[in-house]
Amino acid sequence: MFDLEQAITDWRQQMLAAGIKTPVPLEELESHLREEIEQLMKSELNARQAFDKATQEVGKANMLKNEFEKIGATRGARNLKPYRTIMVACLGVESLFWAMCLLSKFGHFSEITNAQQMSGLAAIAVMVLLASIGLLGHSPVSVILSRRMRDVICHSNNRLMGLMSLCFFALVTEPLVFFFTLPTFGVGSLWVMLPLTGFLYGFIGGLEKAGLKRSSVAGV
Amino acid sequence: MIRKELVAASAEPLILSLLAKGESYGYAIIQEVKARSDGKLNWTDGMLYPVLHRMEHRGLIKARWGESETGRKRKYYSLKKDGKAAMAKHHEQWSLVHSVLAGLQKEQYV
Repeated sequence: MFDLEQAITDWRQQMLAAGIKTPVPLEELESHLREEIEQLMKSELNARQAFDKATQEVGKANMLKNEFEKIGATRGARNLKPYRTIMVACLGVESLFWAMCLLSKFGHFSEITNAQQMSGLAAIAVMVLLASIGLLGHSPVSVILSRRMRDVICHSNNRLMGLMSLCFFALVTEPLVFFFTLPTFGVGSLWVMLPLTGFLYGFIGGLEKAGLKRSSVAGV
Repeated sequence: MIRKELVAASAEPLILSLLAKGESYGYAIIQEVKARSDGKLNWTDGMLYPVLHRMEHRGLIKARWGESETGRKRKYYSLKKDGKAAMAKHHEQWSLVHSVLAGLQKEQYV
């Protein structure tokens, strides 16, 4: 006696063994299989015939796995979320670092006045604002469909920002410059560096977002 | 029999156009395409679901789990804003190809 439920359970096992492990595709395929079987049984096939025909329609496990794997590869290449999370985390750490330096009067900021402290905090706010504008929105001038080109720009930008952070960290912690009074130099440096950093964060975030959005609509 | 490449290329615009009429699910999409093409476009599940998942990931369509009339679990798909824009673009491009082809075909019979 043919047991349809047992046959479907065995089919699920075959799919799992072939590597279709994520619950969503398998649940969806099973739902489709059951739908197909139901319709075939209405057209006077018995349960075994309907099951055999329906499983044939769904396709072999290895072929299905290959098709879903192709999507997995595309998904990995296009997933922007981890990249954005890293960028937001870097921005947060950088903002916090400079705010702590200012508030605790660290290094060059040891003799800072209240007005200079406020000015430094304003520079941090400008950086966050510029970065947010780019990350949340996307510039029409920054649409570059070539992923390779975007990667080159992103990598160059990341290196530039890394270098800038190191240079300014050295300048704040070591008394390398004698031409300025120290607090003026420290706050002035922040006004040079932070808005530029914010712009670069925002530019790269916007570039990626606009590129992916355009690719998605164009089907590229 | 329609060529495999053409079937693959037409899958996305057809799915978008079908979903523009309202939400639907995999089995119904396959059946509707089959009926509308007099059985000439016979999509398999192995072809449809990866395409649906890719479109969902690209933000063209969204999915929700619901229930059929008999209480069975079903995954329903519907169009998103970006999907509408993509559909308009597909229609424009396919119409262009069709008009060029139709024009050339007409000239052959003049």
